[in-house]
Amino acid sequence: MNTVEILAVIIIVGVVLVWRISWLATRVHRATTRAERTWSVLDAALFGRAQRAAELVMMRSIDPATALLVLDAAVATLDPDLCQGERELTESDLSHVLDAVDPMLPARPSELDMERARASMYRRLHNDAVSTALALRRRHTVRIFRLARRSVEPRPFEMAEGTFCTLTACPPDSPEGSTSPLTTVMVREAEN
Amino acid sequence: MTDLRRRLRVGMVCPYSFDVPGGVQNHVLGLARYLRQVGHRPYVLAPGELRSSTPALDLEDFSSVGAAVPVPYNGSVARVNFGPLSAARVRRWLRNGKFDLIHIHEPVTPSISLLALWAAEQPVVATFHTATPRSRSMQLAGGVLRAAIEKIDAGIAVSESARNVVVQHLGRDAVVIPNGIRFDDFARRRPAMRADPFDELRTTLDEARRSTDSGHSAGSPPEPPQRPRLIFIGRLDEPRKGLDVLLAAIPLIRQARPDVEVIVAGQGRRALPSWCCNLGPITEEAKIALLNSADVFVAPQLARESFGIVLLEAMACGVQLVASDLPSFVDLLGAPQDKERRGDVFGVGDHRALARAVLEALERPDPLQAARAQQAAKAYDWSSVGMAVLAVYRAALSTAPSTLAADGEV
Repeated sequence: MNTVEILAVIIIVGVVLVWRISWLATRVHRATTRAERTWSVLDAALFGRAQRAAELVMMRSIDPATALLVLDAAVATLDPDLCQGERELTESDLSHVLDAVDPMLPARPSELDMERARASMYRRLHNDAVSTALALRRRHTVRIFRLARRSVEPRPFEMAEGTFCTLTACPPDSPEGSTSPLTTVMVREAEN
Repeated sequence: MTDLRRRLRVGMVCPYSFDVPGGVQNHVLGLARYLRQVGHRPYVLAPGELRSSTPALDLEDFSSVGAAVPVPYNGSVARVNFGPLSAARVRRWLRNGKFDLIHIHEPVTPSISLLALWAAEQPVVATFHTATPRSRSMQLAGGVLRAAIEKIDAGIAVSESARNVVVQHLGRDAVVIPNGIRFDDFARRRPAMRADPFDELRTTLDEARRSTDSGHSAGSPPEPPQRPRLIFIGRLDEPRKGLDVLLAAIPLIRQARPDVEVIVAGQGRRALPSWCCNLGPITEEAKIALLNSADVFVAPQLARESFGIVLLEAMACGVQLVASDLPSFVDLLGAPQDKERRGDVFGVGDHRALARAVLEALERPDPLQAARAQQAAKAYDWSSVGMAVLAVYRAALSTAPSTLAADGEV
């Protein structure tokens, strides 16, 4: 091989490498962006859940002890200064409290169930997005070329979700009390 | 960010042709119909032809990628599309459709679903229908497939077993949303119906038989209702649908109940014993009439049923159910020890157990059990299933990083 051929080979290999790396950078960026957005959506859904839980207090004929328990747990999750670990704990506590008071409630709070199901769905999507992003960010090429350096590493959100009806099980138009098919579709989350 | 309340243009990709009946196709049409009812605009890309406008879809909203090629895949013969021509058509459809969201069914089949996933720049929702592990092809396809799977913004699995495959073999996760049915269409059976309306049924069945080619209708026509009637619906020539198990069990059943009548319906040619009435492929209407006329519906599938939509339809009709104990069937019917179970299950492939279960159901029909099954099937009506799918659409629309410039790999 003469010099020109060697040069050509080097250039081709270089171009392919650069293309591969920029492609990988796009994928890392896309996965990380998605994980950031799923977090903000999950955050909003958890806020919605706490709000609905706090609204239980306004139910007619709820006793003051139950009301205080729920309100306390709901308000605890809303503190803006919580770090993620503390937030996970307070959200789990809220799930436990909601499960504990559920049999005492005068009526089935279907809107709260909806919010819990929604938060559960968003949490699954978020943790899925996070694991996709992490799998990419831990690749050797990504580390060596520091393709993820400009973004914060996403973290999965772990919490106990408790027991509630899934999205498919309680459509808003279904009459209350028609709960017999729920045996198959109740979600019972193992406690972490 | 996209406004979530406005009318959505949803591009749905179905890898299987609507010329042949199938669970995925029915799911796509059912979802399209629901989306239209609640004011969104579904478009469908699939192989083959859509013969006429349906309540689910106008002809103009359907695009074809051309005829599909039969290839053995996933234990049966799949008719799929691949190659540069199909890829170009998929890209053109994606570009011209101005979709807010792409909903891809069976995203890892080597067909237009994978091509669409590869080329999509919009937010992508993907539904996984099968519970078939494909780890080997995953390993072989390696990075290319993984990069495509990464593009899914929100995954849906039709059952926990389908979700397990997604988690274990694709390294992603999915929200479980079951298949939908149009409950009211199926739940026509009233106590009075058992008395008379068999004229109507027989007309429907006769029409169904005439519309299929006359060659493979063997056996006697459906008889009056005094004879106990067993129903099987599914591909006749595909071993995993388990017709052989049922046929092996029939002689045992006939020893105790010689008058039992067996009706099978489904695609595929095969020779059947003379006492077995074969309706061939039947229309949706005929299927509903047939299910409503059954005494016992048998689902003897051997493997790889991730959901069991026909079983669910039979549940909605409120007939006695006997099914093999595949995980997805047990999910629907309940375990054998469960007092509140909605049907009886037997060991996969065990024709003696099948015969016992069928005889038990014929001797001691349990209307309460059938009523529980019907009640349980109600939760799978499109009104609630579709709402859950829309919730996933909203999630994907608000979380997709689709504002990025066109990706390098496209």
